Amino acid sequence: MSTPAISVSSIRYSYGKQLAVDGISFDVSPGEIFGFLGPNGAGKSTTIKMLTGQLIPQDGSITILGMPVLGHNRDVHKRMGVCFEEKNLYLQMSAVENLKFFAGLHGIKDPDIKGLLQQVDLWNRAKDRVSSYSKGMRQRLMMARALINDPEVLFLDEPTDGLDPVSAKAIRDIIQKRASQGAAVLLTTHDMNEADKLSDRVAFINEGKFYAIDTPEHLKLLHGKRSATVRVKQGDEITELRIPLDEDVSGEGLKQAVGSGEVLTIHTEEATLEDIFIAMTGRGLQ
Amino acid sequence: MGAQVSTAGMIVTLLKKDFLAFSRDRIYSILSLAALILFIVVFWIFPMTVDESITVGISHHDLGMLLDADGEEGIELLVFPSEALLRSVISGDAEAWIGDDGKLIIRDVTDGESRPSGASKATVLVGLSFPEQFIISTAMGQQTTVTVYTNQDTPPEIRGAMVSFIREIAFMLAGSPLPVTEPDAEEIVLGTDRMGDQVSMRDRMRPMLAFFVLMMETFALASLIAAEISHKTITAILATPAKASHVLTAKTLFGTMLAMGQAIILLLATVSFSADNWLMLLVAVFLGALIFTSIAMVVGSMGKDFITTLFLSMLFTIPLAIPAFGVMFPGSTAPWVRIIPSYGIMQVLMDVTVYGMSWGDAWIYLTIAALWAAGLSAVGLTILKRKVVRL
Repeated sequence: MSTPAISVSSIRYSYGKQLAVDGISFDVSPGEIFGFLGPNGAGKSTTIKMLTGQLIPQDGSITILGMPVLGHNRDVHKRMGVCFEEKNLYLQMSAVENLKFFAGLHGIKDPDIKGLLQQVDLWNRAKDRVSSYSKGMRQRLMMARALINDPEVLFLDEPTDGLDPVSAKAIRDIIQKRASQGAAVLLTTHDMNEADKLSDRVAFINEGKFYAIDTPEHLKLLHGKRSATVRVKQGDEITELRIPLDEDVSGEGLKQAVGSGEVLTIHTEEATLEDIFIAMTGRGLQ
Repeated sequence: MGAQVSTAGMIVTLLKKDFLAFSRDRIYSILSLAALILFIVVFWIFPMTVDESITVGISHHDLGMLLDADGEEGIELLVFPSEALLRSVISGDAEAWIGDDGKLIIRDVTDGESRPSGASKATVLVGLSFPEQFIISTAMGQQTTVTVYTNQDTPPEIRGAMVSFIREIAFMLAGSPLPVTEPDAEEIVLGTDRMGDQVSMRDRMRPMLAFFVLMMETFALASLIAAEISHKTITAILATPAKASHVLTAKTLFGTMLAMGQAIILLLATVSFSADNWLMLLVAVFLGALIFTSIAMVVGSMGKDFITTLFLSMLFTIPLAIPAFGVMFPGSTAPWVRIIPSYGIMQVLMDVTVYGMSWGDAWIYLTIAALWAAGLSAVGLTILKRKVVRL
């Protein structure tokens, strides 16, 4: 087993009396996409802030690429990329100027800005001021900025939040590509579809605590309830029949439903991560 | 992955970004340029000469040789046809105008008379009414009474001067000292006696204009810092190898260079530098820029938008303008003004450019200003750092 790129042990943080993160622990391996799934205020962003050195954990420890992180660590920051939830770009500067500036802070003298902007489909607007960009374009530029130093660890805070399907897919493709190249990716989201599509493992976080850490498939197998919905026409009436597959091991229920009239549609359904999250925490993801 | 960036390299990168961001912000770059041009124009519009003459209204039927006194230095005589008219002008019920032909025109203000065309208004601060037999009586050594009319705008020293003036005329007429007793009074001039060597309004404006330049840059820098905080771009910087100390150092350098650069341009355009004073002026401007940059950091940390930043900038910088007003109106400043951080800077800017102040006299002002600059910088940096790390 490879050495984890990110190793977190019992970290805790509270804002005054408000406990934001309550002793969570996890590891992320190189090449792994680790999804942090939880509603707003669950502790996702506070965790990211501790991992990126913006906040110092009040308890516990964090190791990134084998180096301890307690606040700002120049050697760690050199090898990580962060895509913030806020679109914190210099709006009066162009995409090229934004990327050149951050490349300069990383000590990169000749950054491949063209390649990065082509990757996020912004090369044709490279010299326009960011203030003229749409939300999706800004998010793609945020992603390009996070990749400017070819990071070994990527922290992505709600990277596809509010994006159109095309922009969201473009971002997801980049994340998967970077992970396949060996980068450890920690992704926070409250979009269960995104977590499901992207993550090798997900962690359910609520009120600063982990409720589960596992692969999406395994979580669905363990906690989900599969069903099939059959719509049949009986005479002039259309009826919809829902058969719980976990209870219908012999398949008799499904056979009866299919034979009860003219079959119009059959849909199988499996539990979503959101269903499981709600079942485990008693709280929705929004 | 790039090479390790040195601290200097990091700060230069941040400085380049700050200059780029400033130059791209149309509001602040246009405001800075327009303000600088305006201040330079204002400086050259103000008069370089000082009008030290006093217009004195007199009423007498037969002045004759008395009018020769018009040659008296700093006194211009304006002859009124009657004492009543003289009294009404001094009291403000009427105005005295001088026509193109040099004749006196009296405009009754209470009747709402229109202003005489082609005439210029004369400001008569004091009036002298001589009795009918003044010349003969005085020449014969008899005691006479001359009425001196003044109003609330007449400075007390002019009243005293008029008494001396009358005594001199009487002496001239009588040809020998009159049997009058000199008043038991002594004139004490506080500070440097500039009698006959008054400072022009243009020279008095210089520190005030330099102050306004620094104030403008305070607002511009505070707005840039506020924008970095509200847009959380500082957070993005701190997610790179750049540390908070790099950001703060770059901001201090940027603010100081910006304010100092503009102030130097102003001083160059107002021909303030000389071979003897350039270093003293640069030190004063540097300390001033540092003080204002520190204030910009405090304001930038607190400001949330354009309006609050503007309001806070005014709130913090207007008290610093008081010493500049003190320089414009000498003798008007209270002793407590000396504790205002900008006092030393303004004093040096004024005294160096106008009176040729030496290092021996300037060092105390510059030392106090340096202490203020160090203290305020510490406060500004602390507040900004707390804000940055808590984002």
